[in-house]
Amino acid sequence: MPLLLRINGEDRTSVSDPMTPLVDVLRDEFFLTGAKVVCREGFCGACTVLLDGRPIASCLAPVGLAAHGEVATVESLAREGILSPLQQAMEDADAVQCGMCFPGMLMTLSSFLAHTRCPTREDVKEALVGNICRCTGYERIVDAALAAARGADVEGR
Amino acid sequence: MLEPSNAVANFPRRDARDKLKGQTRYTVDGGRPGMLHAALLRADAPSARIVRVDASDARKMPGVRAIVTAADAPGRHGIGIADHPLFATGWIRYDGEPIAAVAAETLAQAQAAAAAIIVDLEPLPAVISMADALAPDAPLVHPDWRRYEELQQGGARAGNVAWEATVVRGDVDAAFAREDVAIVESVFRIGRQNHLSFEPRAVIASYEDGRFHIETSTQVPWSVRGATAKLLNVPPSQIRVTVPAVGGGFGLKFDCALEPFAALLARAAERPVRLVNSRQEEMRTCLCRENAEIRIRSAVTKDGEIVGREAVVLMDCGAYGGEQIFLTTMTAHTLGGNYRLGAVRLTSRAIYTNTAPNGAFRACNGVYNTFALERHTDEICAAIGVDPLAFRRRNVLGDQDIGSTGQVFEGDVLGPMLDRMAELRDARPSKQPMAGTRLYGRATTVGTWFVFVGPSAATVNLNADGSATLVTSGVEIGSGSMMQALPQIVANALGLRPQDVIVRTADTDAAGYDVGVGGGRTTVSLGAASMAACADVRRKLLKIASDMLEAAPEDLVLANGRVEIVGIKGSGATIAAVAERAQRLVGPISGSGSFTGPGVAAMPGCATGHFIDAIDIPVFAVHECEVAVDPETGHVEVLSYCVVQDVGRALNPRAIFGQIQGGVTQGLGYALHEEITVGANGRIEQTGFETYSVPLAQDVVPVEISLYEGAPSIGPLGTKGAGEVPILNVAAAIACAVSNATGRRVQEIPLTPPRVLALILGGGAALELPHISPSWRDNVLTGPAPLARAL
Repeated sequence: MPLLLRINGEDRTSVSDPMTPLVDVLRDEFFLTGAKVVCREGFCGACTVLLDGRPIASCLAPVGLAAHGEVATVESLAREGILSPLQQAMEDADAVQCGMCFPGMLMTLSSFLAHTRCPTREDVKEALVGNICRCTGYERIVDAALAAARGADVEGR
Repeated sequence: MLEPSNAVANFPRRDARDKLKGQTRYTVDGGRPGMLHAALLRADAPSARIVRVDASDARKMPGVRAIVTAADAPGRHGIGIADHPLFATGWIRYDGEPIAAVAAETLAQAQAAAAAIIVDLEPLPAVISMADALAPDAPLVHPDWRRYEELQQGGARAGNVAWEATVVRGDVDAAFAREDVAIVESVFRIGRQNHLSFEPRAVIASYEDGRFHIETSTQVPWSVRGATAKLLNVPPSQIRVTVPAVGGGFGLKFDCALEPFAALLARAAERPVRLVNSRQEEMRTCLCRENAEIRIRSAVTKDGEIVGREAVVLMDCGAYGGEQIFLTTMTAHTLGGNYRLGAVRLTSRAIYTNTAPNGAFRACNGVYNTFALERHTDEICAAIGVDPLAFRRRNVLGDQDIGSTGQVFEGDVLGPMLDRMAELRDARPSKQPMAGTRLYGRATTVGTWFVFVGPSAATVNLNADGSATLVTSGVEIGSGSMMQALPQIVANALGLRPQDVIVRTADTDAAGYDVGVGGGRTTVSLGAASMAACADVRRKLLKIASDMLEAAPEDLVLANGRVEIVGIKGSGATIAAVAERAQRLVGPISGSGSFTGPGVAAMPGCATGHFIDAIDIPVFAVHECEVAVDPETGHVEVLSYCVVQDVGRALNPRAIFGQIQGGVTQGLGYALHEEITVGANGRIEQTGFETYSVPLAQDVVPVEISLYEGAPSIGPLGTKGAGEVPILNVAAAIACAVSNATGRRVQEIPLTPPRVLALILGGGAALELPHISPSWRDNVLTGPAPLARAL
């Protein structure tokens, strides 16, 4: 039986078995290849997407669990070619190297920043406990997240 | 005349936006119509005779389109020695060695068919450790080692010693026999390190018009071309390699890997084939940084002159020689680097074991040799009662000093870098208060590495719209060299903006030969080839402009997208207009250029079995850190980290800072918690991110960085590679600091909490390496060359 999904604000229908990992459905069926399969064990964070606003490891979540929920992937962050403030802060900080971890990093941080006012450096690092980066040594990612948070705070006032 | 400083900019990387939007297509994201999926059948034994491989039932399974085995790939490849077949042939030599490859409509079908292939193995005794491999009467990993083709001459080989490189300069026996010296001896053991690049090794291959097209995640498109040809026994010209964005390499992808399997399957199935390693396969068969064991001895006078040094370095190459054969060369420049030495003899041996082959990893054997050398240096200082900083300042290599192989170094670099580090130290408060009741330690270490130059080719097309297209075989692996340094170099040479320089992705059908992206060589070698190509373009462009503007070519300058007559602003024309005119009159403007290392001279007869006798571009680094060691848990916290790095000229300082922060972080993992162990069954025991712990955001501190510019370099615009070296002396700095904090001899890394606790409690016996004889000569197959003995 086809599964009804809502992905990045659109209604989609999947023909996959409900036990198929969500990440495989996103990548192979809908060609949303932003989320990356890196460990398939829920440790690296590169496949992080939001399900009803909460970050999940899409390699461990069967697609059946996402039925009727709202799935958001990295492809949803930029609107009409305009980067989200967090993405823009990452670009401005020259944070990206190989880039494989960023789709997951961005989803974790988007959710974190949406729920945290005025985070400290330690708060951001703690939020990244489930997202590994092998290239950058993290500090610029943290800088960018803090810059995006400051921007949001300024806008919110 | 080009002004090099005009090339300096924090030019942003053009691939960042798509990477942030999840739009970048890495090899793992690729697909082609009708593409099949492939799986490998791997051996579950470290050493065995293959009695039977029967794929007849597997071939009949649903969805299966092709199965290939050893019979389909007759060749062997290697670096130095052609010892490595594509599939296990006759014998299994390591756990995880491929036996067969299957292509099917789905991955699950391919995996099911691979599992259904019948394999009968007769187990054989295995040598798992280097001590096993060097034991008298040890079983040989390659009983017919004598019959292998030697791709490089000169290395001594025998049985499980896959390759031996030696250095002998001066009379070491006499130095150690002097009455006025203290003799200090140290031994060290270092584990493997897994790159854990996020994109695994991955390939999509097809067979079209009688040629293979291999799209792959690699750092070395031309090596893939050559090795695949050799393994499949086809002409290299039948192979085209293209490389999309690579999701991390760090050296893992500096060798041919999965490509030949996919190529064979694509030809057999007449369909495109995708083959991607699972994370478990990556862990099991990673071409890790090799584990090593080191004995080093020095004769030092009371006032701190190193009159003699000897060392033995054992490097575990695993079941096949691979990169370690080459890396035996590097011991001369790493363990034999940093300091002025009187007489010196070193031997560096790649040892076969029945374990997964090791490979290249950022600053390769430099990291553990620097750890050993710097810890040994601190042990010397303790033995003769000299301050470690003063000892280093006195003994580091300077202008006209000679290295281990007799090469003459130019310029005082390490000394002033140590002085710069001292200034930085004095300028900021110590973090000691942060240690609280924990043990506090600080250390300063030096390191010597090199830029691996070698052949590169470039073509630059100047387009009639005023843009330029740079065509090379360079690959963007994440470091940014192809996105930042190269367009900056070309733009500076042609008076364009970097954003007007298009950089073609690697394609061996489009660009000439290149050694590959690694060893800090991208900016240097590809940059130099690109500069040469630009010189060709400039000459042609200025000739046309000269006619157009009625001025001599030498009176013309290229800047801001225009050709101007010197001193008369606005007198000329746009480069686009000149290019367009050229296209009409003589045809499009295009230039080609090439580069290779000049080959710095070494002392004849010093080095035996070396691939390079001297280093064309030395690179130096000074690292300092402060640590706090918890005496109750053994946990090491890094309180501060500071780097002074020799970069020649920093073309894009912001990008270099990013490389240093990332490289130091990888080094912290290596020093503190990234640990690979091999079980008695020869299998690597870490299977993923849960059991192999890499640094997390909370483990890291912001690195304080000072770029040391102006040291001599043959690199274009005075550059040196900056991405490779940041990892070089991290393990050294951490280990020396932990040793200072605990007052114990650190002989092994990683410094995991249990290991540190054992050090503090003093329960563990000191490390001994009985398979490395204390008598240096017992560790070499060949005696020193007669000429070297006389020097």
